[in-house]
Amino acid sequence: MRSSCSPAGPAAREITYLGAVVRMFVTQVFHLGGIEVTAQVDLVSTEARLRAIQSITDAALSRLDDRELLVELLDRTREILRTDTAAVLLLDFSSGQLIATAAAGLEEEVRQGVRIPMGRGFAGRIAAQHQPVILDHVDHTTVLNPILWAKGIKSMMGVPMVAGGRVTGVMHVGSLLPRKFTGQDVELLQLAADRAAAAVQSMAAKADRVAVEALQRSLVPSALPAVAGAEMAARYVPGSGVVGGDWYDVFTLPAGELCVVMGDVAGSGLPGAVIMGRMRSALRSYALETPDPADVLARLDRKMQHFEPDALATVLYAVFEPALDQMHVCLAGHFPPVIALPGQPAQLAPIANGLMIGVSPAAPRQVTTVPIPPGALLCFYTDGLVERPGRLLDDGLERLRRVVVAQSPETACAEVMSAMVGDEPVRDDIALLMMRCRPDRADTTAVLVPPASEEVYADA
Amino acid sequence: MPDARFQVEMVNGVPVVAAPEEIDISNAGELRTALLESAAHGPGSFVVDLTRTQFCDTSGLHALVGARKRARAKGGDLLLVTAGAAIPRIFAITGLDQVFSSFTSLEEALAQIPAAASGGTTS
Repeated sequence: MRSSCSPAGPAAREITYLGAVVRMFVTQVFHLGGIEVTAQVDLVSTEARLRAIQSITDAALSRLDDRELLVELLDRTREILRTDTAAVLLLDFSSGQLIATAAAGLEEEVRQGVRIPMGRGFAGRIAAQHQPVILDHVDHTTVLNPILWAKGIKSMMGVPMVAGGRVTGVMHVGSLLPRKFTGQDVELLQLAADRAAAAVQSMAAKADRVAVEALQRSLVPSALPAVAGAEMAARYVPGSGVVGGDWYDVFTLPAGELCVVMGDVAGSGLPGAVIMGRMRSALRSYALETPDPADVLARLDRKMQHFEPDALATVLYAVFEPALDQMHVCLAGHFPPVIALPGQPAQLAPIANGLMIGVSPAAPRQVTTVPIPPGALLCFYTDGLVERPGRLLDDGLERLRRVVVAQSPETACAEVMSAMVGDEPVRDDIALLMMRCRPDRADTTAVLVPPASEEVYADA
Repeated sequence: MPDARFQVEMVNGVPVVAAPEEIDISNAGELRTALLESAAHGPGSFVVDLTRTQFCDTSGLHALVGARKRARAKGGDLLLVTAGAAIPRIFAITGLDQVFSSFTSLEEALAQIPAAASGGTTS
């Protein structure tokens, strides 16, 4: 049993620590003489205020998905600190700006979409310096946001919100009457800001997961297109942990070509999925503009390097002739497909490789034309299928080659996933697409003629 | 377990980052941080030692490509030291062998960097 005065957990430790702060304050008051009663009241109310902040946390944890959470937290903070306004600005990492996200007594800040650059003004300074700031004088020289001084706020106090060791935002309070905020007020506000930061981080992580999963579902075709003479089956398995950046796409062009895309974007979570979505739609646009796969990937590369200069991806883009008797393939750092002819061992299709998307401007791009004998099965995949820590890549490719057999794509998918993955958890995403062409005319005597030279597919 | 942190060692005045045995999504972020710090370290070039590295997925390549861009933007370069077959194989498939300068020993890589070749001080 704990004794009644011993701290019971982190919250109690904070109270004890702040109690010490208050006791120092009490001592100073004693020196002034005659106002002992006031000091005693402050001590009691501080502990009550701390308990009030603690109670916000408990409410917050049970309502993490509630968008009103921050507003409630700010209302309570305003009450506890006896201020007129309270607001939270969250750091948008892509723009480096603080965005007004929630407010109490200062709702217009959120409604007007206030944005404060990092390092500038009151909130920007707090975020950049990781330090609390107290303002006794609020005007255009100290505060960037005109709403604050136009509203008549006389004194302000703000603290950084920190989660995972980095600043995620700023929480500030303001008073319409001139007021000297104390060190004790700063401690209380920091406590509320820490709670808010933890809650926001948790909400953001949850929202990210939901968004990524929704995005992923929208990016991987729910149904493969029905194309006469082509049978298809596919698998997509997200890696353990965060969702990665693998995708595949299958579509037809107006002239009847069938197009296959496999891609792997470096990066995971929401940023990875967003880049993947942009690449997928950009590639589709370029596919409509030019029949040359090398041209499509060159345009995609140029677009990515201009608009997403930090993105890196491997892409395979294959265009099948409407007769499905040959495909024109361009590889941007991606693994070549495995091709299996009826009754024959499979092989890695001999396709010229090319540089990944996002590395170097004007990377040379080559197209390899591969003949597709009737009944041949093509296996397109991402690196997660063949790469495993602790194993040689070539061993993975060889295992895949051995297991791919010209048969129904659905069965082929099941057999490959069983042989390559089995029941082991996989760290990386896996995307797999099988396509069998003209199975009704399958000819077990066909041979895969290797391309005489790596020809460049021309419009002519 | 792969190393959690990556040390940047100064050899003849050139930052040298020793990459771990396996680079994947679990440690690529930390490697990227170490590489970007090296790239930010003065205007010069630096070396990534991949001698021990047997596995590098897209996230690892992303860290290397990002740091190379940063170094080149400042007039330097990122040089690689590789051994064995695993890394050269993945570089061949991704086409990165065409853009990265790769050497089989640290001495060879350092010989390409003027500051190191002229015998900068070790710090």
